[in-house]
Amino acid sequence: MTPAESAPQRREDFSRRWAAFRDGLHEFYVGPYRQTFLREKRDEDDLFMIVVLGEALGVPDPAAFYSAELMPAVWEDFHAWHRRIGIPNSPLDHIACC
Amino acid sequence: MLLDLARSRRILFVGGKGGVGKTSVSAALALAYARDGGRVLVVSTDPAHNLGHAWDRQLSDGLARVFTHEDGFVDAVEIDPQATIERHFATVAATMMRLLPDRLHASAQQHLDQAKSAPGSHESAVLERIAELVEISRDTHDLVIFDTAPSGHTLRLLSLPEKLTTWTETLLASRDRSERFAAAARSVVGTKDDEPSADAELRRTLIARRDRFELLRSLVTDSLATSFIVVSIAERLPVAESIDVVQQLTELGIDASSIVVNRRSPSDAGEVLADRRAREEEHLARLREAVGGIPITQIPLLAGDLAGADALSELAEHLVTAPEL
Repeated sequence: MTPAESAPQRREDFSRRWAAFRDGLHEFYVGPYRQTFLREKRDEDDLFMIVVLGEALGVPDPAAFYSAELMPAVWEDFHAWHRRIGIPNSPLDHIACC
Repeated sequence: MLLDLARSRRILFVGGKGGVGKTSVSAALALAYARDGGRVLVVSTDPAHNLGHAWDRQLSDGLARVFTHEDGFVDAVEIDPQATIERHFATVAATMMRLLPDRLHASAQQHLDQAKSAPGSHESAVLERIAELVEISRDTHDLVIFDTAPSGHTLRLLSLPEKLTTWTETLLASRDRSERFAAAARSVVGTKDDEPSADAELRRTLIARRDRFELLRSLVTDSLATSFIVVSIAERLPVAESIDVVQQLTELGIDASSIVVNRRSPSDAGEVLADRRAREEEHLARLREAVGGIPITQIPLLAGDLAGADALSELAEHLVTAPEL
């Protein structure tokens, strides 16, 4: 390996390392915000879940007739939701997700 | 004049206290307008239907032709909320089955069966059917007359579109926020976030809902398209209720354009009825004072049962010719 060949090699090494460093920095500053956004989204979705499943959870829902249309969207997340809000087993008898 | 009202509107609601003759007035007005060449759809929203009795026919949730006169005709419907609920939930179930994995189908079906019997579903179903009938009759009929349940129910029903528009808006806003948070998180490198198709479906559903409520609300509060006829009799309680109804309609932004005072006692048929008539005048005076300039049409007490087109003719005649006060 001659010095003439190694100069570009070194430059490439350096730029790769630099890019990694930059990404790391980016993650360091931005990562927490991403968590925040995802948490906010989750809270928003949880609220939605309560509205849609309200009637079955014992909250009288005057719009149950219409809420029913929205059920498919929340159904898949139901299990994760009740675990998260601290109910170990499905609060709905007929949804046996656990 | 009531016939002018029928000619110039798209929707008429006929309401008032129970037992004052809303159904007879609805049916007779439909008849009068059909004779005038109008294509009329008359719809009963009262769960205790008696529109069928007025036409002397068995009616159902589907359209039935009850009267024809040259170009004009009357179709009649008795809304069956249960049928609407069944239809609605069958549609929802189909959507769910399409979106959900097989293993969840049984649970989903069970859950829907619960929602079916939720309080309020009945009312929503009536509203749903009203919207549907207004839509499907757009090109085939000139006028839809709704023969409604006693005042309280009807006023609640008419305030529903407004409330539900707000409800859908709130949920849509929640979806928007959720979407924005997801997008914000996505724009920051390194999150894998697959766009779920359920959410797009959900949004479409919500938007379709909102538009439907909005349409109904704007139609009902458009005084050039929709009017409300309050039916009463000249007695203390019905008059008090009519005054209330007019007030509440004004608050809802619905045009109360006419009052029909039914079954006025004759002055020349014995002392008892003549006495009654004098007392009725007092109640009428109170009504007139309270409702300002809304025209009042008086219908005399008619003999016999009002059933079938022939019997309704006499009432129709009075409706069309009675002077407004």
